[in-house]
Amino acid sequence: MNVPYLTRRLLYGIPLVLGVTFISFLLMVYFGPDKTYELIGKNPTAEQILEVRHELGYDRPFLLRYGDYLGELLTLDLGLSESNGEPVSSILKRTLPISIALVVPGFVLGNLLGLALGLLAAWYRGKWLDKLVMSASVVGMSVSFLVIIIGLQILLCTPYGLNLFPVRGWQVHDPGSYFYYVAVPTLALILVTLGYNTRFYRAVMADEIERPHIRTLKAYGARPVEILFKHVLKNSLIPVLTRIMFSVPFVLISGSLLLESYFGIPGVGLVTFNAITSGDQPILKAVVGLTGVLFVVALTINDMLYSTVDPRITKS
Amino acid sequence: MLGGCDQPPATDNGATAKIYRHAMDGIPGSFDPAQAATIYANFIVVNLYDTLYRYKYLARPYQLQPNLAEAMPEVSEDGLNVTIRIKKGVYFIDDPAFDGATGREVKANDFVYSIKRHFDPATRAQGTWLWQDRIEGLDLWKSEGSDYDKEVSGLRALDDYTIQIKLTRPFPQLLHTFTQGYAAIVPREAVEKYGQMLSSHPVGSGPFTLISRNDVRAVLAKNPGFRREPFDLAAEGFDPDSRLNSDFQKLQGRIPPFIDQLVFEFVPEGAARWNAFSAGELNFIKVPVSQFDNILSQHTPPTLNPQYADSYDFEASPEAGFIYTNFNMADERIGYRKDPEQNRRNHALRCAMVKAFDWKKNNEIFFYDIGLVFPGIIPPSVPEYDAQGDDSYIQHDLQGAKALLQANGWDKDTLPTLEYGFPNGVTERQTFEQFRNFMMTAGYPADKIRPLIFASYGDYQRAYSQGKVTLINSSWTMDYPDVENIMQLYYGPNAAPGSNSASYNNPEYNRLYEASAVMNESPERTRIYREMNQLLMNDCASITGISRTMLFLWDKKFIMKPDRSFLGGYFMRFIDTVESASTTP
Repeated sequence: MNVPYLTRRLLYGIPLVLGVTFISFLLMVYFGPDKTYELIGKNPTAEQILEVRHELGYDRPFLLRYGDYLGELLTLDLGLSESNGEPVSSILKRTLPISIALVVPGFVLGNLLGLALGLLAAWYRGKWLDKLVMSASVVGMSVSFLVIIIGLQILLCTPYGLNLFPVRGWQVHDPGSYFYYVAVPTLALILVTLGYNTRFYRAVMADEIERPHIRTLKAYGARPVEILFKHVLKNSLIPVLTRIMFSVPFVLISGSLLLESYFGIPGVGLVTFNAITSGDQPILKAVVGLTGVLFVVALTINDMLYSTVDPRITKS
Repeated sequence: MLGGCDQPPATDNGATAKIYRHAMDGIPGSFDPAQAATIYANFIVVNLYDTLYRYKYLARPYQLQPNLAEAMPEVSEDGLNVTIRIKKGVYFIDDPAFDGATGREVKANDFVYSIKRHFDPATRAQGTWLWQDRIEGLDLWKSEGSDYDKEVSGLRALDDYTIQIKLTRPFPQLLHTFTQGYAAIVPREAVEKYGQMLSSHPVGSGPFTLISRNDVRAVLAKNPGFRREPFDLAAEGFDPDSRLNSDFQKLQGRIPPFIDQLVFEFVPEGAARWNAFSAGELNFIKVPVSQFDNILSQHTPPTLNPQYADSYDFEASPEAGFIYTNFNMADERIGYRKDPEQNRRNHALRCAMVKAFDWKKNNEIFFYDIGLVFPGIIPPSVPEYDAQGDDSYIQHDLQGAKALLQANGWDKDTLPTLEYGFPNGVTERQTFEQFRNFMMTAGYPADKIRPLIFASYGDYQRAYSQGKVTLINSSWTMDYPDVENIMQLYYGPNAAPGSNSASYNNPEYNRLYEASAVMNESPERTRIYREMNQLLMNDCASITGISRTMLFLWDKKFIMKPDRSFLGGYFMRFIDTVESASTTP
């Protein structure tokens, strides 16, 4: 591993984290929900309103508050949720693994299937199979995530359908119970992402297939499987990796809000959404900061992977 | 690691635990009683903590009943001194906050401490308004720094089991305030140990204890140390002639709480709630409006479709509150004007808008035609409601509206531009569009009624509390079953940022409110309230009102009478399964 390069990349990430946290904190403070009016009781006096603002720290100068925020991020002392008083770090510790466990199967399968279908469609570009895959992708992209979720719930989770899986819940203790709770959300995630993935990968692969070296391989009579996996896929890995790596922070942190709320899964996406609507700033600050840091890490790993899949790219 | 934490336990004798799963259509925030501001938080808090009083389980209208209090209070003749004795031998749950981690006895001082917390800014309490300026010395205690070791002259523990309250003026609603989650009793040791984390680490003496909570559910288990008080049908207001299930009689003499585990599922999404209920994962739901067509065979009265009647029990319950659209009377464009002529014209404009509003259509589109429309602010759910009263205020009178505008010199050029505020949401937007449409039919130009949209309800509340919204669409849920809680909504001194968002200020209304606020429920008080209602309507200060009808469905295997009002969570200790009630002696 190139340690100096890695250190340099991570140092370059500091301004990025500072920029992300500063802008999001600015938006949170000046345009985000104001918790004051949720915390004051009925018939408040002007003095009581000021008291609550003081308790929330809203009356402190912006830069001081931002400085405190950075301090919290550095020390990982993220404070207490303003909604339920639970330490933010313990909320994240509790919810992050659930979101990861929920989203990873759908994310992996959605990308693998998208790659496979993209390769297939690109290989048969302009033929009926390509048209079928692309049409199905457009249909998949056009159906709302909400419709997919509710449809699958009715079809697979209620007595009106097959009633095989639970509508809500996350009581995971072993692989069997994991499959029981994750199956329908995973299917929903695959259905909603497959169209986008397939179209993207198909475009990348079709571009690669048009290149002269692929035509040469075809002329040599190389087998399609060899051409597709050894040459087309390998040479297309840069945009593929970029797409996947850039999705990772969102997958890890945001989870999937709709999946978590409709399937009653206590993940970090739902916590974040509730924090946004209720103005729970300690949680929002933690999630935004963590997303920024993860982005820097993902970018760094991405750069490392670039030079691995394409030796022409140097770390210098 | 993956979060499984609330598997159904077995009971001590090895039997399967009785679990009741209750769907909530919102998410509670803090479980700290001082912050139990929402119906959802209140539901849970009154099951984890004790309050001095509660309401009889089955009696309607509501009737007060001692809970932790030994009996109803002794009240001096002038109504200013209230003495309450609490039960002996009631214990907090075991918790590391106590010496030896063993729950200690609940004392009168704990109640005093719990109320004082509301007057300590560090608590971020939301129930202060209930006792502010009412209990002698309490406001002073706050202004002197909220030192818990300092006594409050009007709120004292005379001994371990006697509370003495001295009021600044008669406060007939005092006991109602002691039924609320806000007045639940917390031990000082727990507050000092957990601080803000008390919100998620409750230490009470209620019928249940918290096992776990997250953003989708809270799991409570029976508190084995809860005081043993046999269920008494007569004391709970059971009427054998009512439509209540006769299974209730099987509960007589048994010791609540009857179920082992109480699971609250937080499911704001209507479709998910219905799907989970249909799949048998929930035992109770407030039916989402999208399913009304499906479950009702007729609207009036709401009747359950026979296909559901075999499996579910059903109740149509009018809310203890109402929805209204206030005019911001502090806004010169529509409200009070110093110039009598302009004032008269504004009054005519408001009254024309009241006449242009079509409650029938509003009810049809947004409340499935089962909402209860009523004139003014005294809803049908309270005894003061006048069923025989004049209902012209809610009659759609388009010609009358147009005539009023014309007679007072209002036309499309002179009509003022008004902002109609609402928090972002589909229903809210639709409500605005309907409102604007009603006004357009009376001749109001569409571009002169503008939407003012806010990201959250908190932001909207801030804006109208600061007088920045002209037309304020809002709702009020009663905090206690006394209509005084509604009448104060239009009391002048409660003007924005107080609960009088209309900033309505009629000296006669104020005088009547002050006179009635110290009166107990009586025909004379009812007469005054009705007079105040009429004053408000004469002034056309609000387009009001409608009470929503909520439909509840629950699994027939449970014996229960659900209650969704702000005070509702008490019924949960009395829920039992039909099977268990039939076999348990």
